[in-house]
Amino acid sequence: MEKKRPQLSLDELHQLRWLLGGGLALISVWTVFYLEIDAWVLTGIATAAILAVLMRPKLPARLPPLAHKLAFPFIVAFFAWDLYSTAEVLPAIIRLDILLLLYRGVSYRKKRDDLQIIVLGLFLVMVAGVLTVSLAFAVQILVFTGCTLAFLFVITLAEAAEGREGPGPGIRGMEHGRLPAWAGGSWRRLVRRLREVADWRLLVLGGALFVGVVAVSSLLFMAIPRFQLENSFFLDRFITKKSRTGFSDSISLGDVIDIQQDNSVALRVDVSDPARIPATPYWRMVVLDEYRAGLLRTSRRLRNDMVMAAQMTPFVTGLLPPARGAPVYWTFYFEAGISRHLPVVGPFYLLRFREPQWVEQQSSLRMTALRNEPVTMTAYRVEGMSTDGFVPDRLFGAKLRSAQRGQVADKPERKEADEHGPPRVVYPLTTLQLPERTDDRQALNQMVDSITGGVRVSAEEFATRASRWLTEMHGYSLQVVLPEGNHDPVVLWMESSLPGHCELFTAAFTLLARAAGFPTRAITGFKGGDWNAYENYFMVRNSHAHAWCEVYDGGTGWFRVDPTIGAAAMTTSRQSSAAEAALGRRLDRSWQARLDAIRILWYRRIVSFDQRTQMALLLSLKETTGTIGVALREVLGAAGASLQHWLQRPWSVPRVLDWFGAALGGVTAVVLWWRHGRSWWWRVRGTRRHGRTDPVRREAGRWLRKLVEGRTERQRHSATSKVEDLDMWADLQRLRYGPRDTWPEPQAVFRRARRARRAARRTISWR
Amino acid sequence: METERWRLDAQQAQTWHGPTLRDRSRFRWNEFLWSLIYPVRNHRIMPTVPGLVLIGLALGIGSAAYNTASNILFITLSLLLACLILSGVMSSLNLRGVCWRLLLQPPARAGQKTPVTLELWNRKTLLPTYGLWFELTARPVAAGPQRAEATIRASSAEIRAAFARIEQATARAILPLRERLDPGGQARLDWLFTPQRRGVVRVELASVGSLFPFGFLRKNHGTRLRREIIVWPAPVEYRFTRTAAAARQTEGERVARPGASNDLLALRRYQTGDSHRLIHWKASARLRQLMVRQFAAEIAEGFFLWIETSPGGWTREEQFELLCRFAATLAEDLFTAGRLTGAAVNAEEPLVIRRVRDLESFLDRLAVLELPQEIHPSPAKTDVTARTRRNVITFAPEGVRGVAAYTDGEKTATT
Repeated sequence: MEKKRPQLSLDELHQLRWLLGGGLALISVWTVFYLEIDAWVLTGIATAAILAVLMRPKLPARLPPLAHKLAFPFIVAFFAWDLYSTAEVLPAIIRLDILLLLYRGVSYRKKRDDLQIIVLGLFLVMVAGVLTVSLAFAVQILVFTGCTLAFLFVITLAEAAEGREGPGPGIRGMEHGRLPAWAGGSWRRLVRRLREVADWRLLVLGGALFVGVVAVSSLLFMAIPRFQLENSFFLDRFITKKSRTGFSDSISLGDVIDIQQDNSVALRVDVSDPARIPATPYWRMVVLDEYRAGLLRTSRRLRNDMVMAAQMTPFVTGLLPPARGAPVYWTFYFEAGISRHLPVVGPFYLLRFREPQWVEQQSSLRMTALRNEPVTMTAYRVEGMSTDGFVPDRLFGAKLRSAQRGQVADKPERKEADEHGPPRVVYPLTTLQLPERTDDRQALNQMVDSITGGVRVSAEEFATRASRWLTEMHGYSLQVVLPEGNHDPVVLWMESSLPGHCELFTAAFTLLARAAGFPTRAITGFKGGDWNAYENYFMVRNSHAHAWCEVYDGGTGWFRVDPTIGAAAMTTSRQSSAAEAALGRRLDRSWQARLDAIRILWYRRIVSFDQRTQMALLLSLKETTGTIGVALREVLGAAGASLQHWLQRPWSVPRVLDWFGAALGGVTAVVLWWRHGRSWWWRVRGTRRHGRTDPVRREAGRWLRKLVEGRTERQRHSATSKVEDLDMWADLQRLRYGPRDTWPEPQAVFRRARRARRAARRTISWR
Repeated sequence: METERWRLDAQQAQTWHGPTLRDRSRFRWNEFLWSLIYPVRNHRIMPTVPGLVLIGLALGIGSAAYNTASNILFITLSLLLACLILSGVMSSLNLRGVCWRLLLQPPARAGQKTPVTLELWNRKTLLPTYGLWFELTARPVAAGPQRAEATIRASSAEIRAAFARIEQATARAILPLRERLDPGGQARLDWLFTPQRRGVVRVELASVGSLFPFGFLRKNHGTRLRREIIVWPAPVEYRFTRTAAAARQTEGERVARPGASNDLLALRRYQTGDSHRLIHWKASARLRQLMVRQFAAEIAEGFFLWIETSPGGWTREEQFELLCRFAATLAEDLFTAGRLTGAAVNAEEPLVIRRVRDLESFLDRLAVLELPQEIHPSPAKTDVTARTRRNVITFAPEGVRGVAAYTDGEKTATT
């Protein structure tokens, strides 16, 4: 009979159960770290309390029974107050969940309480995953699943050890306020016992189970049929998230610079043809046509137009026609918390979301935004996007002339009075808007004159000259202290020789160009990015935040001008070629890029997995199967042909005899194997496994080897061996090779062997 | 995949039962497919509370996933389903390779505790087995069919009443396997049950259940393992009304069992402790080993039990039961005293009782003795007495409830 291996007692199982339950509660509570919900204090309290009772399981018994009676009313009252005071449903529910987990984590639990921990924890993890679509969710759900399975397994074992079958009133000894027997156990002892009990078979089984869960769930994830019900997700309605002010429709000087301090990735872009990526891509997000006293913003009319055009749609069409030839797809993974305005390189043919979204669009500005700030990563794919930095707008000139002629003077929206400020200029006149003060305008005109020399130049020429003038006058610095005064801050800066950042350069150029009579608007977004060499995609970080201008060329549209020092003056990058793009790309092979590559894999393979991907996968599978089938048919056909050829060869008596003999021999071998070989194989295999896997036999073998090594030295010093040594030697051999029923007590034999080895060593060292 | 460490020989295959054994010996695809539609009796899979929670969560998350096309929810759904699937696989692996057998230790006696041992053997090479439980039932065979196979003419009330009777007569026990059953390891689970009545009791391993590994599903694996055990009548107290006037022979009657008379019964090998006086020197010299004499036993007086169960005499069932108990008790007492020569029931062939085995046969007969419904011809009393010469003990009702024993027509003892 097999020697019994040690196993955990019922109390130890309860201890393990307590540990796993607390760990599960902690893992769940810690979702707040990446959920970015205001529950830090509660999370801290829950973490400290759960850790305290995990370390000292006797603590919950000190709580008076009244505390348990009041716990639930207190939690409900807290939730009601939280909901009333914050008016945010989802954060309140999450805080409620944390409170419940806290209570369950610090009180003795019955089986149903254990289940509550699992359900509450799953809710937290799932909500965090849905709201953030973060890679952290993948890690956490895997850890959570592993812990949950272990937890349920231990519960099942504890129930079996108690002799209970099926669901019942709960595991005994878990009543509130009563100290269970297992609570007095020491964790150190439990660890020691776990080490004793741990067996490679169990560890392999657990590992295989976990890998199996992951593998099967991956297969299920790919195989579950997908169909679109055209419903947007509902959780985002219950939570609000504010994006960076630098990418809103109203920014003040320095907002973009603030964003640049953050080095996290804001945008990832997959391009089906990387050669089409320009050397220095400008990712347009917000068009700011209105300027007032250092404040750039999208004018109210344009904002209203966008709001009015909002629609729930899975795709948005641009004004570009579909590209000829194979289309180039740009897949954007835009992180949450950046902006509701979607970055694109330029005009496009089609923009498609993974799921229907409320989208606002301003066609003439080529600006697309979501209605609400996205709380999760937004993925969208753009097809047929122009990358030359030119925004066609043939109607703008007519609109501008019409507005200038005052043809729409009687319309109320032309001049909208602000509640407390001067009358507001409406689009498209905003693209020519200058500071209110006359002396500021005069200063601007003087600067324009110094730039152009009083000669009328084209818009492109003016852009080049103005940019050069600005870079000659100002250096670059992120730390800028604007001069004090009642004048316009940008005009003041232009008059000074202070260094500036991209927003100042942009605002200055905008005012100069407008003063020169060229409609100009400011753009915020990102410039450039890093090419992740591990997964071949573009990483745009928040530190790439930038501001630049677009100037109307007087007839066809808007060309891009980046007046910031160090940038090309006019980047109507029609001249940038694929080769230049490839050369200009900045490769990122850092560890951060390697980690980020995992994130893009998560986005590509998991988050963006949809019906189309599933169909592509099925088609690929079908194609592979078809290819294998064709190859198999070819192999079989070739084999058949060679068999036919072999049969058609002339048959002589020796050949017939040879083949007949070979066939007979083969059949005989098969029959012999079938009758005797299998049992022989089982015996050999069983014997080998038997010897190899039995821990006692292995240990005995180890001691025999050690003693053999020691004996060669000992024999040099001692001519005779003691009788006890011989007995011990025989016992070890019996343990190693003998039948089990003749075994002596293994541990006693090993102790004797250990003593004998020590004695031999002492003898050697003494001599 | 797991492999079995030892292959069972034919004898082991007969005594050990288990899912793998049955499947290996008689696996049929059509049976397997049919079992998916119409499961085997006692094969049940019921979701537990965690299982219901899991299924509810899967349904909720699944509907949310389809409504929102959120891959996060699809991942969660896939994980839940994977857990459910692998739970089934693990449960199957847990049960695979485990076999069991029922060991009964007769004699069983009504009203006394009888041990039923269930031996388990995990024949797997690598994986241990956890958390099984075994549902055992013990039911008198005479209690009628366990299931209502023919219910066309029976009303539901009758069926319910029949089931209630069966249930009342059925003893149940659930034996949990509290510890891990290591690969190649064996375990024994004991159940002490107390049969209420004499007769044949069928001990059955109704099902093997498990919540392993995560307790999502409560699985019961029906088995067909049954053993029958004969339950002897319970002993009863009786009293002698007068000293049995058994006729004593001038010379004691010898019986063919070892004893202390002067008649040589046989020779046997010398054993340590035998008296040297008993050594048969001639035989020892001839056979070149020490042989001792063995003498026949001598009985002082012998009794013969004759149980007559004519329906005219035994009308009350309780009284008949008392008869069986009285006869069994008397037979054992007489045998212990060495004064029982034989026994007979009605017209059956008289049983000569010399050894314990003979007595057990008689008690087995008493255990299944039933009150006859029709009169069958009984042999003339003289025939029996002629064969046993004298001292025939017969039984007759004593009053409404009692039973009296008569020796050659004279009342000897009553209950």
